[in-house]
Amino acid sequence: MEVTMDPLFIAWSYFRRRKLQQCSDICSKILEENPYDQAAWGLKTCALTEMVYIDEVEVDQEGIAEMMLDESSIAQVARPGTSLRLPGTSQGGGPTPAVRPMTHSGRPITGFVRPSTQSGRPGTMEQAIKTPRTASTARPVTSASGRFIRLGTASMLTNPEGPFINLSRLNLAKYSQKPSLSRTLFEYIFHHENDVKNVSGQNALDLAAQATEQAHFKDWWWKVQLGKCYYRLGLYREAEKQFRSALNQQEMVDTYLYLAKVYQRLDQPITALNLFKQGLDHFPGEVTLLTGIARIHEAMNNITSATEYYKDVLKQDNTHVEAIACIGSNHFYTDQPEIALRFYRRLLQMGVYNCQLYNNLALCCFYAQQYDMTLSSFERALALVANDEELADVWYNVGHVAVGIGDLTLAYQSFKLALAFNNDHAEAYNNLAVLELRRGHIQQSKALLQTAASLAPHMYEPHFNLSILSEKIGDLQSSYNAAQKSEDAFPEHVDTQQLLKQLRQHFSEL
Amino acid sequence: MSVGEASTDGGKWLDAHYDPVAGLHTFSSCVALADLSGDGDSRLVLGDLGSAGSGMKLKVYRGTVLTNESSLLDLPAGLVSFFMDLHEPRIPAVAVASGPCIYVYKNLRPYFKFTLPGLEINTLEQDVWRQVREGQIDPSTLKEMLESLRTSDVPLSARSLHLLSLDVEQAEQFVHLHKQQPIRRQTVITCMGTLKKSTADEDGVSCLVIGTESSHVFILDPEAFIILTKMELPAPPTRMDVTGQFDVEFRITVACRNGNIYILRRESDRPKYCIELSSHAVGLVRVGKNVVVGCTDESLQGFTQKGKKLWRTVLPAPITTMAAMDLPTRGFQGVLVGVASCEVLLFRHKNLLSSVRMPDAVSSICFGRYGREDGTLIMTTKGGGLMVKILKRTAAFEDRDGAPGPPQAQSIRLNVPKKTKLYVDQTLRERESAPAMHRAFMMDLSRLRLAAAKAMVKVLECSLTPVSSGVGQPLKINAVVQGLGPAFKLTLNVQNTAACRPVMDLAISFQYDQSLYRVRTPFLRIPLLVPGIIYPLETFVDCTSDKGVSDIIKVFVLHGGRSAPLLTAHINMPVSEGLTLN
Repeated sequence: MEVTMDPLFIAWSYFRRRKLQQCSDICSKILEENPYDQAAWGLKTCALTEMVYIDEVEVDQEGIAEMMLDESSIAQVARPGTSLRLPGTSQGGGPTPAVRPMTHSGRPITGFVRPSTQSGRPGTMEQAIKTPRTASTARPVTSASGRFIRLGTASMLTNPEGPFINLSRLNLAKYSQKPSLSRTLFEYIFHHENDVKNVSGQNALDLAAQATEQAHFKDWWWKVQLGKCYYRLGLYREAEKQFRSALNQQEMVDTYLYLAKVYQRLDQPITALNLFKQGLDHFPGEVTLLTGIARIHEAMNNITSATEYYKDVLKQDNTHVEAIACIGSNHFYTDQPEIALRFYRRLLQMGVYNCQLYNNLALCCFYAQQYDMTLSSFERALALVANDEELADVWYNVGHVAVGIGDLTLAYQSFKLALAFNNDHAEAYNNLAVLELRRGHIQQSKALLQTAASLAPHMYEPHFNLSILSEKIGDLQSSYNAAQKSEDAFPEHVDTQQLLKQLRQHFSEL
Repeated sequence: MSVGEASTDGGKWLDAHYDPVAGLHTFSSCVALADLSGDGDSRLVLGDLGSAGSGMKLKVYRGTVLTNESSLLDLPAGLVSFFMDLHEPRIPAVAVASGPCIYVYKNLRPYFKFTLPGLEINTLEQDVWRQVREGQIDPSTLKEMLESLRTSDVPLSARSLHLLSLDVEQAEQFVHLHKQQPIRRQTVITCMGTLKKSTADEDGVSCLVIGTESSHVFILDPEAFIILTKMELPAPPTRMDVTGQFDVEFRITVACRNGNIYILRRESDRPKYCIELSSHAVGLVRVGKNVVVGCTDESLQGFTQKGKKLWRTVLPAPITTMAAMDLPTRGFQGVLVGVASCEVLLFRHKNLLSSVRMPDAVSSICFGRYGREDGTLIMTTKGGGLMVKILKRTAAFEDRDGAPGPPQAQSIRLNVPKKTKLYVDQTLRERESAPAMHRAFMMDLSRLRLAAAKAMVKVLECSLTPVSSGVGQPLKINAVVQGLGPAFKLTLNVQNTAACRPVMDLAISFQYDQSLYRVRTPFLRIPLLVPGIIYPLETFVDCTSDKGVSDIIKVFVLHGGRSAPLLTAHINMPVSEGLTLN
């Protein structure tokens, strides 16, 4: 005789084993038999939420709309060191762009790719829309459409017969009185339906507002949820109020992180830093808070302090990938590739096994003079590539090594391959131009440099090279224009300054 | 010496008046201080250049208020105040040079107008105009003949030059209107100065010294307004400085448009000395017996009366204007230099004594007695502001020579990271197993070269690169996608990188997933490509999917009569943010 288990228990078990689809299927069956089974309803809601759950405290990318149509910044021209928008000169004595490459925003590239580390704020609307929008650099119009809408659509696609809960028919007032159901329902609406506020009026914000009222404004959890809703709607000041109030009732790490996110959006990095430090007083050694501090320092171009905090992170959690990668890249760019090699090897031991890591290992080996490992690492990186962009990056680095050992044919081929796989690789264009110039192909070199300059106006190298080239062929006016652009991109570059001085002297002579 | 280490204006000047919206647009040559009513209360007289060729005015300030204003007919080129007679009370006249005329004002009323004598007119030109007047030739022939005259380097009159700039219909009208009048050739005044007639007294009678575009310097008699002396220069003068007395001995220092400075003396009508500068002069000031010249190469240079170079200082920014600062009561003589970095610097010889920060770049400087205050500095700014500062009686300028010694940068330690123990260990390993490492490296290198060559061949076979360097058509393509979706604008920048050969008979086509995208013009013809110029070709792409997915669009550059594409570009399309309406 077969003993059947209680289906709800099976579903619960599935849920705990994160077999969410099965869990949801069994719950659907239970609900077909008894539509008023609150336990099954709640479990299914949880399962569906878990499927699309995103950690809200993680960094999200600012969309074009948030950046260009921003109203919440306080000072349009902030003092250096008080704004994320104006990285300015490095304050922490970090390496110059001559040593450490720059991203679009004028910040040194990081060791760990997060949203918003790759491309910073574009200066103009045209730049924002124009940027060579490939899959890796494309910026969503709003953060809402960047991540949430697509997930929302995905959930709709999986349920062809229609949504599980018809939100427009829900009586939120009734649900808000039941604390056991209201929370799961909220998370479902917030994450799965992704419906913070729309025309129907039945939404997460309303539910949270009503539930807070039910709890006589004493429940910190609901306040945090209300804050999350406001944050997503872009009402940062309201969100700040809710999070602050929640923190007064209950100190939570999450709440600190949310609040810090709000301050970063409001472009108040110093306040965010103070908040993190305040949080660290209550939760000493909390890794997420330490990471947050390090990220802000990094974003403000204060690499030395960022590294200090990443080291603190590693003291607490010695498997923190982001910290290891960031410290490693910092060592690499401060002329200590042998130490960077140690860090990257540690990552490899931890089981991170991808193209980028092998690529970095290869470069570290090369610059630390461990030549026997260099090229084999590149071969492994080439074998592990997932897409054309990665392939282009690996070939670009192979080209660098080839230049280093003086094999210009290999270098030429490598840069060409980098361009074949990624048509927008400005650095490869620039380096190829230099090689073309050495071969005496002035016209082609010039064309390549112009392309590089138009693709990546933040880089000073193409402008500077173009300036030198134009000066050599006697086109002093173009040379001067290019040198000025180079100066804008990297004001401390001594060679540019000297070239400009020379040109100015030339112009003023009779 | 940099400005940073020099003493700033800290407590040397009193701010007397600042009007940022005075609306004064003038230069140092059109500013003068004069006791216009003979009551010992000095006024400020300015020739305002107005804006965009209109609103030229002669303005008089007393204290902080504008007391008098009268219109000028043309842009003022110079303004001086001078005593023209010996009448009591001693009231100076004001002379304003504009165009070919000098307008003399007395008691701020027009008193006399002096016009420079006309220049000699080429006989051929006269002849041609006479023929037109008599109806022997028509306007178009006239124009042709004038054109040929101009090409043979004959200086033409203003009327002929104007005619040459007109097109045919207008020319006819112009000729009809003007052919009856006799033609004249006039020169214009470029700079003006004053020269004491016979006494060196403060209120002695002065002659006017005029520099003209025709490279002449004239000295005028102050009473009769006749030309006393005419001198010739090799180039048109731009700035001048005059010292001495006409009847005894004088010296006129003139900066000319060919970048040279000439020194004229009483005896000869030709320049006595010549100073060849390395760049154009923007300011010329005499201090004692020396001449200080500001040049466009951001330098200040000192010369003796005989043209011997004494010193040269480099300034932090381009010079906008210069003026002398003469304080006889204290025996102080210096040079005030306005620079483009919004500062006014005070130099004595080559040493920077003090600097004054200004809210805007200075366009004119004048130092002297204003009101009843002897040491007054009057400046107008580029934005039209007027600023008056008074030198404190307690202010003292001490000379500091640039301290010799090694530059500051020498003592800064570079932040070079120490070599770690790890590094030393690694070098040990390198030393011990060098042959094995080398062998492994060389083997890997050969393998990598092979891999690169294989990949390259594959890429070349498919023409995947965006840059083709083939012998036939060296081309380059670069694509930019603009827009948020569903409609995107695709701009393809095609460039011919050959040295001199144009490329023809090219076309562009696309390959894309038709269920996702719709290209409005799927086939583009490329015009003839001139080397070196970027040709942007535009088309529109519509995203027809609402799934939030994106794909690659391949662009091929094709050559007529060949099956393989010359170039290929892969465009990673961004995700469409909207849906098409249909």
